[in-house]
Amino acid sequence: MTTALAEMPTEIGPEQHSSNIVETDNLTKWFDVGLGLFRGSLHLKAVDGVTLTIKRAETVAIVGESGSGKTTLGRTIIRLLEPTGGKLLYDGQDITHSAEKRLMWLRRKAQMIPQDPYSSVNPAFPVYRILEEPLVIHKQGESKEREEAVMKALQAVKLNPPTFFANKYPHMLSGGQRQRVAIARSLILNPEFILADEPVSMLDASVRISILRLLRQIQQQFGIAFLYITHDLATAKHFADRIGIMYAGRLVEEGPVGSVLGEPLHPYAQALMGAIPDPDPANRLVVRQSLPGEPPNLVDLPTGCHFHPRCPIAQMGLCDVKDPELRELRPGHRVACHLAT
Amino acid sequence: MPTLDVKNLVLWYRTRKGPVHAVDSISFALEPGQTIALVGESGSGKTSTANAILRLLPKNVLRYDGEVEFDGQNVMELTDEEFRRNVRWRGISMVFQGAMNALNPAVRVGFQVAEPLMVHYDVDRDEAADQALDVLRKVGLPADIARRYPHELSGGMKQRVVIAMSLILKPKVVILDEPTSALDVMTQTNIINLLKDLKNTDRLSYIFITHDLGLASELADLVGIMYAGELIEVGPADGVFVRPKHPYTGKLLASVPRLRSEEAPDFIPGAPPDLTAPPPGCRFHLRCPVSFEKCGWSAEEFIAQMDLLQSSGEAKDKVPSIASMSAKSPTSLLIKPGANGSVSDFVQKLNAFVAATSEKNRFLKSIESVQGKTKSVEVKLYETTPPPIVGTEWRAACWLVTEGAA
Repeated sequence: MTTALAEMPTEIGPEQHSSNIVETDNLTKWFDVGLGLFRGSLHLKAVDGVTLTIKRAETVAIVGESGSGKTTLGRTIIRLLEPTGGKLLYDGQDITHSAEKRLMWLRRKAQMIPQDPYSSVNPAFPVYRILEEPLVIHKQGESKEREEAVMKALQAVKLNPPTFFANKYPHMLSGGQRQRVAIARSLILNPEFILADEPVSMLDASVRISILRLLRQIQQQFGIAFLYITHDLATAKHFADRIGIMYAGRLVEEGPVGSVLGEPLHPYAQALMGAIPDPDPANRLVVRQSLPGEPPNLVDLPTGCHFHPRCPIAQMGLCDVKDPELRELRPGHRVACHLAT
Repeated sequence: MPTLDVKNLVLWYRTRKGPVHAVDSISFALEPGQTIALVGESGSGKTSTANAILRLLPKNVLRYDGEVEFDGQNVMELTDEEFRRNVRWRGISMVFQGAMNALNPAVRVGFQVAEPLMVHYDVDRDEAADQALDVLRKVGLPADIARRYPHELSGGMKQRVVIAMSLILKPKVVILDEPTSALDVMTQTNIINLLKDLKNTDRLSYIFITHDLGLASELADLVGIMYAGELIEVGPADGVFVRPKHPYTGKLLASVPRLRSEEAPDFIPGAPPDLTAPPPGCRFHLRCPVSFEKCGWSAEEFIAQMDLLQSSGEAKDKVPSIASMSAKSPTSLLIKPGANGSVSDFVQKLNAFVAATSEKNRFLKSIESVQGKTKSVEVKLYETTPPPIVGTEWRAACWLVTEGAA
């Protein structure tokens, strides 16, 4: 629990600069699921003890299937949700349980790019107003300065010429262009950290890559750290520096992209990689390895390693009893498996 | 003899904006047991092609013709009732996109699987139930599933039920429209493995519709690439995936981020065209990296591209100054030079600009001649027609692909 003292500096906003923009220590987020009157409630353990560090100006991809807790992790990290337990540091400041009112500075520094470019912008606002809105809310600058910022943001997302796009309404734009507007909006307050939750999953393949490239350029140009949440291992490979693989609320493997995807050590990570086909005509001649069963119910998780009921190498008496810790088995590459070496 | 032979299939819709050319003269043939993957971006006409084959047409159909030969019979000549009785589901069935979410929530899944038997063949309930159990077993579901309701099943199980429904009448061709799009990776793999298995044991032919080239390669013997309502390339998977002929296929393959290669994925600039007014010539020419004079720029497209070039910051000082442009005909336009430029001066500048940048600004290649008039400059563009699809086993519709070329 945080003390009043620990919360003090967050009111002003941190001036110190930690090299880690986000640190989580055993972060958990449980939701209460009611069973009905008089019958109490159960916990749905969406995030169940995640320890993760995101450095300044790097992209960390969190990959997992639906229900693995990746979206909840992202939303908890930018404090759209309050953690149930563990510790959450932003730029060295403990914000685990900071009151909503004291987080206005975080709402400037940490931004979000939503999944759906069709429903995330106000259809009644022209692009100019969509982009100006955050500046008005956070009382940044005079109208002249705000105009400059809007034009700069439109240029940064390559909506050229900016004056042309500023007057458009969302319905006049294509999906890719709308997503660029959403990205411009996330940039307008000069953030240090952006949560991108499936930012391209609604877009067509040919547009997808241009948006991911743009995010990469923006990151390099402005030194922004990204948490890229996706179910797509292949885009994570090409657009992230580090990758974390989640299964049933836990991080099972995490490390530099080359190391994790070059040599996945967790049986789940191996299975996930094996399940994704690259275009290759030889694929039709072979049967692809897959896992039996389904991911577990988050209300009633397996004991020990959450993956053990589906694991091809699980050892009873060990894996079903003891929680595996993340162990560093390769430089910077951690794996939560008792049997990985 | 092919099981399915589609020739010049056309399906246009009537809308307020004008006719939508959803399917424009598509031809392909499927041998028994062969699978074709139809791949394309959204709006390229993949699903419309499936609907056209199964004659599942909305009310706003403007044009529907061509030939669909199924088992040697041109089924386009059948009446709607004959088609419904003898072809749809009995000969050609379909797994619709998102069908697993359209199961009737109030009816046990076993009954839903058995229903087509009772409707089509007048089989009694017990016999139908037996056959339904057989099919459910075949798709890898335990027998007790028949008594359950859809909400009791996981996504993967529901998808298996939907596949069972498509197989119950023992069709020869099954159309699979994005059969795994809402499923998780592992479940997707299990479903694909099931489809592979069924294909091999039952000699089924699939028309597999997907936007995912990786998934397409899991089932495809043939690949058909669709763009803006046209089939622009169709051929054996071993060829198309490895040495694509059409520039669009090449760009599409290059846009796939691969797990087993370090090669960075590339994107295709621009967006697919509006199908109410498809571009003249080759429909891909506006986005094509190797387009040239024959590919079909219209005067309007030329003007739009020139405008874009003028307003983009980087080329501003290099573009000869222009006061106004107007299209005179589809292939000629008039340009009024900017304030302080004479006509002859402008012609010279434009020619120099074209010579210097036409590799990058490929629309400039469409200029056939530039002629100075008294106050303006007339630019004539090459006339062209859409490229025909050429080849036999492996066909592509591109002026750069010649018949018989590897």
